[in-house]
Amino acid sequence: MKKKKLISLLLMMALAVSFLAGCSGGSAKSDTESTGIAAKTLDYSNIKIGEITSLVVNDGGWCQATHQSIVAAMKELGIPKENLLVIENVAEEQVAVTNAYDALAGEGVNLIIGASAGYATFLSDLAAQNKDIVVAQQGDKMANLIGYQIRNYEGMFLAGYACALMSDSDTLGFAASMSEASVRAAINGYALGAKYANPEAKVQVVWANSWYDVDIETQSAQTLINQSIKYMGMEASSPAVPQTCESKGAYCIGYNVDMQSLAPKAVLFSYMWNFEPIFKKIITSVAERTATGDDYYYEGGECSAISAFNDTLVPKDIQEKVLKVKEDIANAKINIFGGELKDNKGNVLVTVGETLSDDKINTQQFLVENVIGDWK
Amino acid sequence: MTAFIISICTAAIVYAVSILYAAIGEIFTQRAGIMNLGIEGIMLMGAVSGFLTVYSTNSLKLALLMVILVGALLGLIFAFFTVTLRADQTVCGMAFLIFGSGLSGFIGKNVTGIASAVKFEKIEIPLLSQIPVIGDIFFKQDILVYLMYLIVPLSMFYIYKTKPGMILRALGENPAALDAAGINIFFLRYAYVMFGCAMAAISGACISLSYTNFWNEGMTGGKGWIAFSLVAFSRWNPVGAVLGALLFGGISIIGINMQIYLPGIPSQFYSMLPYVATVAALIITTGSFRRKHTEEPAALCQSYDRENR
Repeated sequence: MKKKKLISLLLMMALAVSFLAGCSGGSAKSDTESTGIAAKTLDYSNIKIGEITSLVVNDGGWCQATHQSIVAAMKELGIPKENLLVIENVAEEQVAVTNAYDALAGEGVNLIIGASAGYATFLSDLAAQNKDIVVAQQGDKMANLIGYQIRNYEGMFLAGYACALMSDSDTLGFAASMSEASVRAAINGYALGAKYANPEAKVQVVWANSWYDVDIETQSAQTLINQSIKYMGMEASSPAVPQTCESKGAYCIGYNVDMQSLAPKAVLFSYMWNFEPIFKKIITSVAERTATGDDYYYEGGECSAISAFNDTLVPKDIQEKVLKVKEDIANAKINIFGGELKDNKGNVLVTVGETLSDDKINTQQFLVENVIGDWK
Repeated sequence: MTAFIISICTAAIVYAVSILYAAIGEIFTQRAGIMNLGIEGIMLMGAVSGFLTVYSTNSLKLALLMVILVGALLGLIFAFFTVTLRADQTVCGMAFLIFGSGLSGFIGKNVTGIASAVKFEKIEIPLLSQIPVIGDIFFKQDILVYLMYLIVPLSMFYIYKTKPGMILRALGENPAALDAAGINIFFLRYAYVMFGCAMAAISGACISLSYTNFWNEGMTGGKGWIAFSLVAFSRWNPVGAVLGALLFGGISIIGINMQIYLPGIPSQFYSMLPYVATVAALIITTGSFRRKHTEEPAALCQSYDRENR
């Protein structure tokens, strides 16, 4: 009897242990499985990316710079180029953006990149409704979107520095498009770079009040040239400024993409948007499923790029100086928006030892001390 | 100061010419009784066809010929709709605007932002270009500007001093009378519409072959509308169109310069000035409170139906 009881007890214990082991094994298995799914990265070759642009992708300007960066990042990460779906000429209005988004979502994209700041509000709403698709948008931080921006003032600092070194006159020029924070950052970066080379350097700015207008941009360049200004920077999308400079014996820094082929006798080098490092990070975060709507990339260095120098126009010693300054910026030896910094109305913006915060750089509403002109 | 004045005046002429071809073409079209709102679309087609031709062949002559052919072809189609089918001219014009804008972007996509090897360069007229100030302003321009120096007086002479010009004016006032007199008004309307569209195409080519040497979608930037408004502003008179174009262009250019000389005023004000000036001039010159009759062709925008004469 005792034996039977003992055997029964042992059997029951064995059953209980088996049961428990089976359960925990089962739950452990499911934990492992769920953890495995959560940890499993997407296969890069299967990642699909959608791109929405306001113009065509070979517009010779902003859209081209964005598109080329996406293509380069995809190539670097081994994503087939067929996995990039582009919808061009999307107007900055809700219906157009929503249609483009829906079309891309229907194709099963994992990531949508909006290449125009005007899409942000609409994409933010769309991203909130569909968490399966990550949306990245250039510009300021917005809810539900991965934001990205380039410290364009770093590249423009080099532009101003080079122009000031090359110019016999203390006065340089700047042909600007619309008075918007990133444009003002470009002007200020250019002016501060000029001042770094020549403490007496001044920058006359002329506003086109248009993102793309061949006539007005031509006149902007001509107006500066009429003031005996021979070296100028630009924040404009058409080749009108470089071509006007070329026809009038003046020089400029190209913008968006390498513009040397458009005006080989005028373009010293070009400031270029290089979003590739940013897009690589974004795509990687999408693949690793770590992307969130709080992500924001504000990068300089290789993102704020300059093209190769025009060897026939820029002497080697100046090229070396520019590259040295580029290195100093990268190593934080030069603090572009460091104090003391004044605006051109005499107000102190940053005191000695301080640096303008990124938030204030991104939303700046001033022109620095050595800029001639108003930002409004 | 002299150099500054020369620069402003030279630039004003270049700007004016780029809209004058379209404006004068539309004057002829409207004088014939047809209104074409699609000038902007046709300008873009002219710009892209000229650029594509010069990009492929490096021949400016061939490019100009292609521009004229493309413009005339579009004019032929427009005339078919408006003269033969008697379709609503406003609707057709808008359709051509959208069609031209879209098609030009499509066919020019692969050459966007690329510079062509050649463009119309400045030519200094011997002796005349050496006249102080005047020579610098008027006689150091390119061939398209020099052609306009001939087109304006020839247009005036044609419209006001020749029998075909009188018929043209009558065509826009009372086509029924001409039809009754045995004149083929349908052929004439076709011809003038094709001419107007060819001129609009040349206006577009001014931008892609002379002003610059590249193509980009929408690069005319609304000039077609300015050319259209110049027609009424000029009271359907080519010399009036010249004055209007110079007014608009001159104020645009001076406005940019004022950012330097009067920096306290927001730059957007200067951007607005040419449009304000044009609207004001339009009101003053065409407002019915000033005169008892208007020079607008009486039969403008009215399809002619012989059966209902």
